[in-house]
Amino acid sequence: MLGQELSETGKRLFRDFPILRALWESGRKKSVREAIGLVEKAEEFNRTFAVPRALELDMRMEREPEYFDWEIMRQACKYRFLSIFIPKQLGGIAGEFMVANTSLLMDELCSGCSGIALAVGAHSLGVAPVITSGAMAHWDTVLREIVEGELKQQPVTMAYAITEPSAGTDVEEPEYLEKAKLSLEAKKVKGGYVLNGRKCFISDGSEAKYFTVCAALDRNRPLQTWTTFLVERGMEGFSTPRVELKMGQRAAHAAELLFEDVFVPDSHLLGYEGDGMGNGILMIMAASRGPVGAIATGIARGAFQHFLAWAKSKRNGKRPIEEDRIRMALADMWGMVQENRGLYMSNAILGDCIFGKALDNPVMNLTLSLPSSLRTNKIMRNFLNSYYGKAMINAVLRFYIKDEDMTQLLETASLAKFSCADNAMELCSRALSLMGPEDSEERRWVEKCYRDAKLTQIYEGTNQLNRLVVNNVRFEETLRVEVPRPFKKGVMA
Amino acid sequence: MIGVPWAKESKQYAVLRSNALNFASAELAPVADDLENTVDSPLLWKAVEKAGEMGMLAALVPEQLGGEGVDLYSLCVALEESAVECAGFAAALLFHNAALVPLVYVDRKDLVEEFTKGRPLCTVATAGEVSLDDGKLNGNAPFVFNVLEGTVALLFPGSGEGRKAAYMRTGAEGVETRVDPYPLGWRVSNFATLEMRSAEPVFVLDKSEKEAVTATERTLYLGLAAIANGIVRKAFQKAYDYARQRYQAGKLIIEHQAMRLMLARMLCSMEEGQAIIRRACGVEDLGPAIIAWRRAGANACQAAMDGVQIHGGYGYMRDYGMERLMRDAKYCQMFPRPEEEQLLRLLDMVEQGT
Ligand SMILES: Cc1cc2nc3c(=O)[nH]c(=O)nc-3n(C[C@H](O)[C@H](O)[C@H](O)COP(=O)(O)OP(=O)(O)OC[C@H]3O[C@@H](n4cnc5c(N)ncnc54)[C@H](O)[C@@H]3O)c2cc1C
Repeated sequence: MLGQELSETGKRLFRDFPILRALWESGRKKSVREAIGLVEKAEEFNRTFAVPRALELDMRMEREPEYFDWEIMRQACKYRFLSIFIPKQLGGIAGEFMVANTSLLMDELCSGCSGIALAVGAHSLGVAPVITSGAMAHWDTVLREIVEGELKQQPVTMAYAITEPSAGTDVEEPEYLEKAKLSLEAKKVKGGYVLNGRKCFISDGSEAKYFTVCAALDRNRPLQTWTTFLVERGMEGFSTPRVELKMGQRAAHAAELLFEDVFVPDSHLLGYEGDGMGNGILMIMAASRGPVGAIATGIARGAFQHFLAWAKSKRNGKRPIEEDRIRMALADMWGMVQENRGLYMSNAILGDCIFGKALDNPVMNLTLSLPSSLRTNKIMRNFLNSYYGKAMINAVLRFYIKDEDMTQLLETASLAKFSCADNAMELCSRALSLMGPEDSEERRWVEKCYRDAKLTQIYEGTNQLNRLVVNNVRFEETLRVEVPRPFKKGVMA
Repeated sequence: MIGVPWAKESKQYAVLRSNALNFASAELAPVADDLENTVDSPLLWKAVEKAGEMGMLAALVPEQLGGEGVDLYSLCVALEESAVECAGFAAALLFHNAALVPLVYVDRKDLVEEFTKGRPLCTVATAGEVSLDDGKLNGNAPFVFNVLEGTVALLFPGSGEGRKAAYMRTGAEGVETRVDPYPLGWRVSNFATLEMRSAEPVFVLDKSEKEAVTATERTLYLGLAAIANGIVRKAFQKAYDYARQRYQAGKLIIEHQAMRLMLARMLCSMEEGQAIIRRACGVEDLGPAIIAWRRAGANACQAAMDGVQIHGGYGYMRDYGMERLMRDAKYCQMFPRPEEEQLLRLLDMVEQGT
């Protein structure tokens, strides 16, 4: 019965993720079908686009780090990967399984090329704070623009900028942020803020049109004044002067952002002044570290598939898989992949339990079903941008998103992130050791995976930090995510 | 900088080590990044020339045959110090030196002269499958470094204990060279697969083949262990220095235990590496050399990976010089043969009393 309704991809997914089958059988067919459909698209994207060019592009990026292959984004538009985090009510494709779908998508895309996948995925990291901060005033402008661009295959992309040259780990944890040495500062002026300083290593930074940027209003009180802004390319004084030559995941740029007296209007304050950690970063990390675990898993799976192909191919008259040690290594590696999937998927399911209701409930649905002109007219915009407007949206979010839930989500996300990353690194390393000095396409792929995998231990908080987060949430209970309270006074007031 | 705190060497080796390190700092450090992206560049040849002045070319060939006549441990010391600055360069030197080892057994000064004059460097091909029938070479040899037009390559046609030692020139009739422009590590020299179709060898060893093959292998394994140890040292140096200047959470990151543990593990690796290499150099058997290579290779991979981690995002970027260590280290482990295969061979060797 199952078999007839399911595509090959569906069958594979049910085998690899029994939870999907359970959801299907318990009446969530529509959402599960969406998940399967998305993975099918990712398979096609890999087959027709990413895989054929991955090695070539990776090599090119080493010689020309400034080059960016826009075809990646155009193709992503074709499959609608740029609106994976944008709710359906706004024209995007995020539904009931937003986090799970994102994770599945990343797993699939990264099994082809994680550099290309990062270029696609980092955009959604930039989108997320616009949603989670409840900045409804920008939903009908920025998010719509992304969706419309996507439909026309004229990509409009975002990036998420929190890391600074001297503060990486520090901006991901409240206790550390308190002591961070920051570069960027946003000074309150009449009608807005003036930003000065730098951000670094920002994925998609040199391509994005919009940026969600965190900055302290007072560098001496970073935690209390940490605030999220929406910055647009083209704002005077804003530039992206440098991209890095990375070891791996090269298809995506890591760029430096430079702010020289950049004026950002009040309307571009996302959330409240001073809620950039609790409402901003921790919530984003809770939603995104799981998908980063999925990135690592995809890389590991890619390496595994190439290794398997190598093991089954004839080399000098013999197939490596004829040796028991290779057979057992394959089982070990597959075990790592499935262990990873268990971790990121439980995080994703929890995430969707939390966000699903916050984005799909009577109040939200009513608000979003109004013609968008009603929300975009000046009076309404002013209201949504006002203290009371934000309070209203936050009251809704607050009703569905509880501190305990977000805190738990952060824990599972951080756990998935470091475990998946470590497994991926180990898997790639082991595969190379087993292959040894081989002249084969498979070895070249696994070497790429090896370089790519290392990044997953670093970004989205280093694995050291993620371990500490798990401890701090679970065992010492010193870290809690606080969802912003409506009617909270601005910190600078 | 912290060196290897517990190592004590006799004066002879201590002097050699310090000379080699000076060579590496003066000649390799400034050009290591550039070397990585070019093959056959004037920079490379300048460094090779200097290495020659240091006695690092034809190091193991006895003086009466025109070589330097140093012992294997001395070569390892020189390679380790060179690898501190540029593992790819050290690897290029190692392959050249290892390739000349069989000539020691046949007393052919003329060949030593022929193979070592000018450039290119010689090389050894250990992987793949090559046969020698009716005086012709057939098969393919992947993962060969130092490959340029006319490189002298030492091959081991045959299999197992019956392997022979044959020299061949790339560019000769029947030899096809496929260059891989994009290997993971050791970017200093060309990296290629050689394919032989009835290729004419330049010279085939006609006696002591077994000894020659074993001695070459032993040189390779110990040389690679030394290079791996050089990588560990560099990883430690860089990571230690970085950890003492990078602040996070209001303190130097070296104060975080996670960082200290990684650094301390690197210290263990350095000591372990040197001890195990020294010991293996003191015995003629191949077994200890393989054991040293395994250990040092694994240590280098771990140290380089941890070194990148300590550098955070900066470690991932080419400009900070850490990621190169990670790539180079992996090749110390993947070459000359797959590690598990050699592990199994170790037990075979013990069982067979070889
Ligand atoms: C390719 C790439 C893409 C990236 N993309 C983005 C992006 O899109 N947006 C963005 O904002 N950022 C991005 N980053 C930044 C990334 O999140 C940071 O690199 C990461 O958080 C680590 O920060 P750092 O590099 O400053 O390292 P540091 O924080 O300086 O860490 C250095 C070392 O110290 C350790 N350490 C630091 N503090 C502690 C502590 N308290 N306890 C124990 N150990 C500690 C770390 O674990 C690490 O090993 C990207 C980075 C890379 C490399």
